[in-house]
Amino acid sequence: MDVLRSESTASDDRSTTPAVELAETRRRPGPRAKRLLDLYLAAYSSATNEFPYWYTRRYMQLDGEIPVVRRATALKEAFSHLTPTIYPGELIAMGKAHYYRGSFPMPWLSEAYYMAKEDELYQAALAKGATSADQVSRFGSGGGNVTASFGKVVSIAGKFGIRQEEVPALLAVARSWRGKSVDDLGHRYEQMVPGYPRKEEIMRSIVCMFDSGFTLPQGREVINYYYPLQHGFDGLLALLDERRAEVAGRADGDGLVGMNRLYFYQAARLVLEGIQAWITNYAGEARRLETREADPVLRQEYGELAECLEWIAHHPPRTFRQAMQLCWTAHVAVLNEDCISGLSPGRLGQVLYPYYRQDIQAGELTDPEALELLEVLRVKFTCLDCFASMGVVGGVLSGNTFNNLSLGGLTPDGQPASNELEELILEAGIRCASPQPTLSVLYDEKLPEQFLLKATECTKLAGTGYPAWVSNQTAMNFLLDQFGREGMTPREVRAWAIGGCLETSPCSWMELRLADRSYPIPGGSGQPTSVGVHFVSLPKILELVLFDGLDRRTGRRVFEPHGQPLESFEQLFECLQRYFSQAVEVLTRTNNIQHDIWRKNNMAVFHSLLKPDCLDRGHHIGELGYRYNGTFNIETCGTINLVNSLAALHTRLYRERAFDLEALQEAILHNFGYRPADQLGSYSLADQQKAEGGERFDRIHHLCLTAPKYGNDDPQADTMLARWEDWFCAMCRTYESLYGKPLYPCQISVSTHGPMGAATLATPDGRLAGTTFADASMSAYPGTDRNGPYALFTSATCWDHSRSQNSQLNLKLHPSVVQGRTGTRKLLELTRNYLRRGAFHIQYNIISSQTLRDAQQHPENYRGLMVRVAGFTQYWVELGKPIQDEVIARTEYEGV
Amino acid sequence: MEPDGHSHMDCRNYASLDVTRGICHRTKEMVMAEGAGCEEFEPLPRCKLCVHYEPAETPYLGRCLAEQDRPMTYPDLAAVTCAWFEGKAEPLAKQ
Repeated sequence: MDVLRSESTASDDRSTTPAVELAETRRRPGPRAKRLLDLYLAAYSSATNEFPYWYTRRYMQLDGEIPVVRRATALKEAFSHLTPTIYPGELIAMGKAHYYRGSFPMPWLSEAYYMAKEDELYQAALAKGATSADQVSRFGSGGGNVTASFGKVVSIAGKFGIRQEEVPALLAVARSWRGKSVDDLGHRYEQMVPGYPRKEEIMRSIVCMFDSGFTLPQGREVINYYYPLQHGFDGLLALLDERRAEVAGRADGDGLVGMNRLYFYQAARLVLEGIQAWITNYAGEARRLETREADPVLRQEYGELAECLEWIAHHPPRTFRQAMQLCWTAHVAVLNEDCISGLSPGRLGQVLYPYYRQDIQAGELTDPEALELLEVLRVKFTCLDCFASMGVVGGVLSGNTFNNLSLGGLTPDGQPASNELEELILEAGIRCASPQPTLSVLYDEKLPEQFLLKATECTKLAGTGYPAWVSNQTAMNFLLDQFGREGMTPREVRAWAIGGCLETSPCSWMELRLADRSYPIPGGSGQPTSVGVHFVSLPKILELVLFDGLDRRTGRRVFEPHGQPLESFEQLFECLQRYFSQAVEVLTRTNNIQHDIWRKNNMAVFHSLLKPDCLDRGHHIGELGYRYNGTFNIETCGTINLVNSLAALHTRLYRERAFDLEALQEAILHNFGYRPADQLGSYSLADQQKAEGGERFDRIHHLCLTAPKYGNDDPQADTMLARWEDWFCAMCRTYESLYGKPLYPCQISVSTHGPMGAATLATPDGRLAGTTFADASMSAYPGTDRNGPYALFTSATCWDHSRSQNSQLNLKLHPSVVQGRTGTRKLLELTRNYLRRGAFHIQYNIISSQTLRDAQQHPENYRGLMVRVAGFTQYWVELGKPIQDEVIARTEYEGV
Repeated sequence: MEPDGHSHMDCRNYASLDVTRGICHRTKEMVMAEGAGCEEFEPLPRCKLCVHYEPAETPYLGRCLAEQDRPMTYPDLAAVTCAWFEGKAEPLAKQ
């Protein structure tokens, strides 16, 4: 394929943007994608009341209706009334709202967080602790974030702009959900959990970051496009009618929920009708523009777009473009149905391959045309915004939506699954560098070298940190262990993909018939993995152990005093386990209640229809309609600061007796003699300033800093990691989700290492109060990994990664390390070396700290600069300063 | 300029980019949402231009009389997709 020019033959222009430090050529998007991407870069993140208004208007008229039918009718009303907007040059149309970066709140989940501060709902939210995270989360002030009101634009939830004339109606709609939202109902019932006040203290002290039940009830999972692709929407309606007739009035041996199948099929029908109307409205807009357009090229494009939309509103797609448009439409429909972060398209290159192959062979599509479509699809994904509270969107997500596209892996019969279309997807990722969809390679030893080199080239040249690299084998081992009890087989496990930024997600093979051929295509078949106990700050738990359950930052008691003198390391570790378990216990039970409310009143209808086996079973997600349901998990943050702190305590406090506990406590309370980070406005260890008289803590701080550190192949630190992982991975499985399935560990930080660090005092590893934790779960704390990447790899793999849904290692390389073709091979070998040790994941930032510092000082020069944070790529200017500081401070390797 | 029914954002040729700006389909130029519409201005259906719309005392709120329960609505809600929309005889009267 000519469009897949390798490094040695690329002839595009050399970049002049400061973001690109590589001396190698940087490829550019095609003119169409560039225009559309430029529009994105110029656009504010904008919210509208349209969808919530129509949803609420209809919902409130249906008091007494069966809940799933009531919700579906409201969804149909909302989809049917969305105003279609089409922009000149779009080949793939439709979006969440009528703005380019449009989104909207869903007050039926939670309404309090975006009400005006003086509003009583907001005050109530403060009182119950759920919005404390908002106060320590900071958005990047640049880019498209509307962090302050201006003119007739009102800033809402710290990120979105809404037209002033919509605000009164927005608040009126929100008020109508008072006492009815998942947040409000869940709060009423979660208070019945024994020890509930502890949960409030846990949230207030930022021991835990957010409640998934009413913030992001779904996500970090893989969508499934199979049913619309195979049957089309009219075909699905016919299937639903058939099934509805079969089950109406029958329990078929299931006296509990057997009768519910009728209501699910009816609900699915209603939502499908709404989605058809939504597509048809866009088709109508395209026809309207066609009739009025003077430019013959644009007029033809509008006509072709209308034809595409008119077809897919009813029928299975016949072409690559139609299939892509249908996948995109289904994707946005799911995102409009619920508040979701991390809805991944999965192995889209393998899903669309049958259409690509067919059109290429028929001469109806060329690779440059396919590449252009893939580029503009990147822009569409980048435009996705997720409306949630500042604590969630800023503190957890950094504004990202985690639509992760997976590449590679194996076919059902164990052969390499990569294909030519996936190489085009990588090329589109290089040329049209943008945060979404981020890319992940499911690395398997069987994958062809050419494909792996192409992916490595993308890691280098896109300048965005994608693709991430994950081990196919380690992931499959985890999945078989977790989902074998639900019937997962060695053949089926090969369908897996990354959901969200880095969540190993169960998928299934579906047989797609196109023309006279059958293709097994992979698609999601599991519940969300964004759900459960998220995120627990491990360093904060340790801090509470050291201070007998009292949060010395807020002065509030979080846990009952353990009453232990902490005379031995074993005693300290036992207290750590006890507090952690107490937190998980109350958080699991309250979270289960939230999600139970969600599944009763706000269940996914369209999303359920897409996922096997809801259509066959007649049950939505809340009634275990999905094939795999054991996806709730316990997610932690700050692993390496915990490990380093345990190593310091074990070495300095208990073995060497270099200081006593009281002295350490005093040093921590005095931040080792340094000024608070928030006073300086700097959140990395490197840029802190001594307080007056702080020298008296120099000795103890020095001892803490020079204690054994993770990342250096030092058994004194690594045994702490192995011990923690051994206990943590086992304890998670002793807790049960509302679906009666065991929980499992999830170890990624996303962006929580910023706000959670902000709420944590200095730690025994020498980290200072308020500064950001080490990112991810396997990344070394900045500056403490001194023995090179291979020593870091040895440390990181001292435990079995397949016991956890994920682990995460971010590495920052100076661009000079990977220059040229030799550098590409070196980078691939580095990746291989890590993954062959049984590791799960590695990703790279190939950029110098000097550039990042300049970008922080002169953001106006770096609008297009992207960095890898922790499982996702984001525009630098849209990151909060704590995360910016942490990325700058990461150890920069100048040789591998 | 105050949004008064003559702004770019109230025009059928306007594709809203964000809360401040949009693209004029006729000129392909970026225009400000609150900027004054041109001679080609064509009103975008909104509740405030509908015969079924009744303003409320609270600014920016009203009622839809098309349904029996007279649900709350608001003047600037786009009605492009509303089956009940019926334009007023003089649609550009100020609110």
